[in-house]
Amino acid sequence: MPGPLEGIRIIEMGQLIAIPFSMKMLADMGAQVIRLESTGRLESYRSDSVYKNDISGDFWNKGANFYEQNRNKLGVTLDLGKPEGLGIIKELIAVADVFSENFTPRVIKNFGLEYEDVKKIKPDIIMVSSTGYGFYGPWSHFGATGPATEGAAGLAYQTGYAGSNDPVMSEIPYTDYTSGEHTVFAVMAALMHRLRTGQGQFVDISQTQATSATIPEILMDYSANGRTSPRIGNQDTVMSPHGCYQCQGDDRWITIAVANDEEWQGLCKVLGRDDWASDTRFKDSLSRWQHRDELDALIGPVTNSWVAHDLMTALQKAGVAGGVVMDSKDLLFDPHLVERNFYEVVSHHESTGIPPLPYAGRPWKLSKTPAVPGMAAPLMGEHNHMILGDLLGKSAEEMADLEEAGIIGYGPTTPRPVQRPPMEEQIRQGRMQRFETDFEEQVRNRFPA
Amino acid sequence: MTQRVTERALDGVKVLDLTHHITGPYCTKLMADFGAEVLKVERPGGDPSRRMAPFLNDDIHPEKSLVFAYLNTNKQSITLNLKSEKGLQLLKSLIEQTDVLVENFSPRVMTSLGLDFGALEKINPGLVMTSISNFGQTGPYRDYKAADIVEYAMGGLMYISGAYDREPLKHAFNQAQFKAGTDGASATLMAMYHQRLTGEGQHIDISIQEAVATGLRDVVNNFTYSGAVRRRQPNHSGDLSRLRASSDGHIIPNPGIGAGLNWNVMVEFMGIPELGGDKFNSPSARLANAEELGQILDDYFIKQNKYERFYAAHEKRFIFGVVQSPEEVMADPQFEARNFFVDIDHPALGTLKYPGAPFEMSGTPWEARTAAPALGQHNLEVIGQKLGHSPEDLAQMRANQII
Repeated sequence: MPGPLEGIRIIEMGQLIAIPFSMKMLADMGAQVIRLESTGRLESYRSDSVYKNDISGDFWNKGANFYEQNRNKLGVTLDLGKPEGLGIIKELIAVADVFSENFTPRVIKNFGLEYEDVKKIKPDIIMVSSTGYGFYGPWSHFGATGPATEGAAGLAYQTGYAGSNDPVMSEIPYTDYTSGEHTVFAVMAALMHRLRTGQGQFVDISQTQATSATIPEILMDYSANGRTSPRIGNQDTVMSPHGCYQCQGDDRWITIAVANDEEWQGLCKVLGRDDWASDTRFKDSLSRWQHRDELDALIGPVTNSWVAHDLMTALQKAGVAGGVVMDSKDLLFDPHLVERNFYEVVSHHESTGIPPLPYAGRPWKLSKTPAVPGMAAPLMGEHNHMILGDLLGKSAEEMADLEEAGIIGYGPTTPRPVQRPPMEEQIRQGRMQRFETDFEEQVRNRFPA
Repeated sequence: MTQRVTERALDGVKVLDLTHHITGPYCTKLMADFGAEVLKVERPGGDPSRRMAPFLNDDIHPEKSLVFAYLNTNKQSITLNLKSEKGLQLLKSLIEQTDVLVENFSPRVMTSLGLDFGALEKINPGLVMTSISNFGQTGPYRDYKAADIVEYAMGGLMYISGAYDREPLKHAFNQAQFKAGTDGASATLMAMYHQRLTGEGQHIDISIQEAVATGLRDVVNNFTYSGAVRRRQPNHSGDLSRLRASSDGHIIPNPGIGAGLNWNVMVEFMGIPELGGDKFNSPSARLANAEELGQILDDYFIKQNKYERFYAAHEKRFIFGVVQSPEEVMADPQFEARNFFVDIDHPALGTLKYPGAPFEMSGTPWEARTAAPALGQHNLEVIGQKLGHSPEDLAQMRANQII
């Protein structure tokens, strides 16, 4: 069945996550996303975390992060430094519904691809720019990464262990996703408006702003009460116990959140501590919360003897919100996610040597217009002929000239692979928790092609 | 009627909002703030988030929750007791007239009320029904209980967050709820786009766990690509984008993205000669000498002023970041230039500054038209005028605790 966005064409000049992730979500739902890449300035996700850390051959077609963010897209390479390359972008914009990019405003201005320019090529275009701090304003020309905007937005400041002076930051570009999720919504809102009125517009995504919009607990408290609360770690402002407790094994943990007396009784029973259930310090929600540090100190040593997954099952059976802190492997093989078909097996081009692999899907399931089947992210230049030839009508001769002049290509002009240290060294450095040598077989058995 | 100054992106989209707490209300807030007509149906006691801290001046009052006030801008409120026959009947007449219904009850609830999608599409064939729940409408965890921390853990974000040698740590407050709310709003508009083109409605199943698990970059791929299980990183991982303490707070001294970085310019900028030479001048070298690099950077930044280094770095086009406190966020010149914080006047809260547009749309801007409604503020207008019930009927319903 077709996705709901069948017939919508999107030109993407994206890099890393913020725009590529959101355009992937739209591509999954049926939009045709044509991703433009530069041969001169290789997208760094193409050359990092390559399959089995093997940087031989066309390493730029083997990067995990690239495949993760670019499913279901068509790939065209262009030398953006040459006027002919920019000319082709404009030809593509002329036949597109949406043009999206996440360069800094300075770069887009230099390309002559600001909304005012683009609108002249396609009057009803929806243009989406995603930048760290927004397309205008004193910080607009500042480049940014996920961590920078997580800091600027106010989210990092409030996150941290109880009593600690140090904020804690996500270890992935978290706000790329927060803003990316808002970008999907913004594009859909603009498409709804265009459907009704025929008008396009400019959507200016500030990754910081989108993130600040998700922390009213922090910003409204400051705005209304002038108050900045201390960091509270995994504790809650109302619930107790509410935290992350150690389980059996190396670096295994469970989270538990108790909302009422019934759940508290359930927790005590599962942990075999009836004495806690009758302890007056813990008799109701308020007194448990007042004694939350004592409670947390008591629980860890008891959960310690449990296997995390067993404890989760026992707690949920007793009506208590308990959840395993899932690592990479738990997530991939999680029976619930697998049964819901959350992962989608994608086949890669045979030249890459990558077998079919599962990738994370989407957080939504639409009953009548589900997603389109997953196609792997494009090889560099994989769809040059399809898009420039078939769609823009360039002749074989013109295509040959473009190749000859280096306007289009099939690999980076200056290949620079990133060699990660051997896995044993990554574990010693603490970047990875462990390494399982039979992973290929495990993945293949669980997710047959 | 007053003349409208601006167009609204979601003009003409009618949303019946049965949601409560955070995730559902954020979903419908996004739609309301961009022009959808959102009617919030509350239980007679009100959305539980009316009792959620923080409150203005810590005054625990159903119209003074700041989180509720933020999440419910531009909505109307009616009260209905869905456990009464009459209440259900009124709800069904509202469903006949809506485009969208959003709910975030646990998966059994709508069915137990006879309000499952199968029943509702018979009343309204074009209905888009969006259900947001902890683990989705199907699967072995469907009826599992959760709180934000549990979703964080089971969605995979928590294991990689926090200190290397301590327990995993979740982000402050309710990030998983906001993620799923945003996803719910996006998916609803996808289905609405299809509905406007074909007249066909459908049911959308949103899982908060999956909303978290969708945004993990390479956590799962570490395993599928190399058999590795990624963990929380030690302090001296050498990752240039890591947070470092400054003399006055914290800074994120990321010089640039991957291959585009000229390391020598960075070394000169920081004035740390030890960073010169072959040891650190390529991504591979920096990974190999990660621990030493981390220590050098820590020792340097603790002596620096964060805003001074932030602005100076951007002169050189290094993409440094700063960690801002709530006070600094609200004084941020960038937010100020973009009018991010907006004044909203509310009868019980007075005029306060709220976070405003999550993004800007040139043709159909974000708007705060009305403050969050009082409980049942629109009973008369909606149940009385729109559904055609007399003031006597309304009095009767109130006496029978239907509204």
